[in-house]
Amino acid sequence: MSGAIEQPRFTCALGACQSVVAIKKGVPILHSGPGCGVQVSRIIGQGEGYAGGSTMPCTNSEEADVVFGGEKKLRNVIENSFKVIDGDLYVVITGCTAAITGDDIASVVGEFQLDDKPVVYVEEGGFKSNNYVSHSRVVNAIIDQYVDKFYEDSEVIQGLVNIFASIPYQDPYWNGNLEQLKRLLTGIGLKVNILFGNESEGVSEWKTIPQAQFNIFVGSWAGLDIVKHLKRKYGTPYLHFPYTPIGAKETSEFLRRVAEFGELDQKKVEAFIDREEKKFYSHIDKMASFMLEFRYGIPRRFYSLADASYSLGFSKFLLNELGIIPGIQFIVDDIPEKYQESVLDEFSRISDLQRRDVKVVFDPDAGLDQKKLVEDAKDYEDKRLLILGSSWDKHIADELNADLLIISVPVQHRLVMNCGYLGYEGGLRAIEDIYDRVLATYR
Amino acid sequence: MRQIAIYGKGGIGKSTTTQNLTAGLAEMGKKIMVVGCDPKADSTRLLLNGLAQRTVLDTLREEGEVDDLSQIEKKGFGGIRCVESGGPEPGVGCAGRGIITSIGMLEDLGAYTDDLDYVFYDVLGDVVCGGFAMPIREGKAKEIYIVASGEMMALYAANNICKGIQKYALKGGVRLGGIICNSRKVDRENELLREFAKELGSQLIYFVPRDNEVQRAEIKKKTVIDHDPKHPQAQEYRNLAQAIENNTQFVIPKPMTQERLEEILIEFGLMDSIKDNYHI
Repeated sequence: MSGAIEQPRFTCALGACQSVVAIKKGVPILHSGPGCGVQVSRIIGQGEGYAGGSTMPCTNSEEADVVFGGEKKLRNVIENSFKVIDGDLYVVITGCTAAITGDDIASVVGEFQLDDKPVVYVEEGGFKSNNYVSHSRVVNAIIDQYVDKFYEDSEVIQGLVNIFASIPYQDPYWNGNLEQLKRLLTGIGLKVNILFGNESEGVSEWKTIPQAQFNIFVGSWAGLDIVKHLKRKYGTPYLHFPYTPIGAKETSEFLRRVAEFGELDQKKVEAFIDREEKKFYSHIDKMASFMLEFRYGIPRRFYSLADASYSLGFSKFLLNELGIIPGIQFIVDDIPEKYQESVLDEFSRISDLQRRDVKVVFDPDAGLDQKKLVEDAKDYEDKRLLILGSSWDKHIADELNADLLIISVPVQHRLVMNCGYLGYEGGLRAIEDIYDRVLATYR
Repeated sequence: MRQIAIYGKGGIGKSTTTQNLTAGLAEMGKKIMVVGCDPKADSTRLLLNGLAQRTVLDTLREEGEVDDLSQIEKKGFGGIRCVESGGPEPGVGCAGRGIITSIGMLEDLGAYTDDLDYVFYDVLGDVVCGGFAMPIREGKAKEIYIVASGEMMALYAANNICKGIQKYALKGGVRLGGIICNSRKVDRENELLREFAKELGSQLIYFVPRDNEVQRAEIKKKTVIDHDPKHPQAQEYRNLAQAIENNTQFVIPKPMTQERLEEILIEFGLMDSIKDNYHI
């Protein structure tokens, strides 16, 4: 049943326009009311990218477009977007208004597709889902309407993998995380289609999606529909790693699973892992004196208000590598019920040493979650607490005198460039950022 | 000012009845505005002697906005003020929203002047979405008449419309004033309609007999009263106008179940049994 929720940490389906912004020279075209795009980029859009934010072409539907239909205007906006913005791929995404009115988007975009223009459409309708779900729909639409045009039973390229992981912009550290993933997987001998962000080669990379030897999906659920779709369509097998691997232990585990799945050269993989782990732990060694000095002042317990992938990834990392105990984990990504069991299962195996019952709350109502968090924290007043959340959690962190690490949208209190918490380097970065806050209390 | 909405199954003769009826009221000296709420925009053709009028939505589409009532309102037979909402071309856009826009615009432009005795809304046959219920929402039409005939589908539609009226009646002040029979010369039509109206808790306010004069007048783009004031059919419409002018029976209708409707059809209508349904 639907009801009102406070502080949703995601957007309506239209938010998937950010996935297009994350493709090199990708241009989203919104067929929506004025303000829809702004609403999206205010929540999940630090930085405009190539054609994001206020650059995004939009039909700005108004009353006349409702009454008479907005197809003519959409045709006009698409035509002019081709003239004004030099893009490699244009993706038309419809908002609520056009979806209710029933504009025939397929036929409007179809005209341009017949002309061989690189344009696809997703009849989303903001109300249809959130952006976690619509991200997959956008990617699948690009595959079906564009990528597939270039596929003529082309041969599988051995060692080529497609990566589907962080949802661009919904994960504030998507770019850094994807860069890390590419570095790691290239390191163990794979050729990687990372598809989004700096390390991607853009649309030319997308065209080789059907030729991958296998696909890797890193995350708990949002994006799983893409690899399933590719399996149905091109028969590409996929590996599902159900959380964001952070730090040495989890990253090595991730790489070994990939190596096993892809039947890679074990020696080469282990050599890479060994090199990376040595580097990682050498830095950990260096911080022994800091840990000793601050042993009474470092966070002992942490809460997350995050999506399942981050919550799991950070829980494993913080518990096993830094000894910070997981408090209640609030999963705010509106994860469908059918995936919740597997998340709980993963939490139940969080420690190799002992059984640990982590309390997990699946509730996208982050306002309510905050209330529960503050209530629970009362029992730990003598301990320094860490909150993994968003800018919207700053006030409760202040109230509880807790450290806040922002890992979720909206991000208003820090600038994100290439920061990422995934992988070996991401783990080090997380350690820096967490204990920085401890040092910041130095007088 | 009495605001009246006319509903009924598509093709039943709502527009014809509304225009002939308002011509009768105009003859009595009443000040009237007719608002066509059908994308086909043919609700005022007989009053204006042709389809010359620009609709509200045409004006909006071409000029972006409507500044003045004179752009969209035309005076027709007997000084009746005629407005057509109009709508998008078939198959695109949202006609329901069009009606909401149009009626909102009429309000903004001050079309509802105090000197009016009647405002009639001639609404598209099927109340498919909220837009088509606009005329009976709060503050608009308080009276509804349903045009029906002895044909089964017309009665089905009328019963369905009553469900809509009931919903709005409970929230606002809208009431059913009665059923107008636009005869199709079905056997025992009068009895059937009377019983049907009674079952709804309402009345058959008038039985308009079928006469080819109506079609003859229509071809000439006129109401019967305008075309041949002495014709007996003209008197029928005058009588209907008088019945509406004198009407005091306004009720919240009690729509019936499918089964009950079928029973009435068997009892009073042509149908011998349910399995003969298709004869009608």
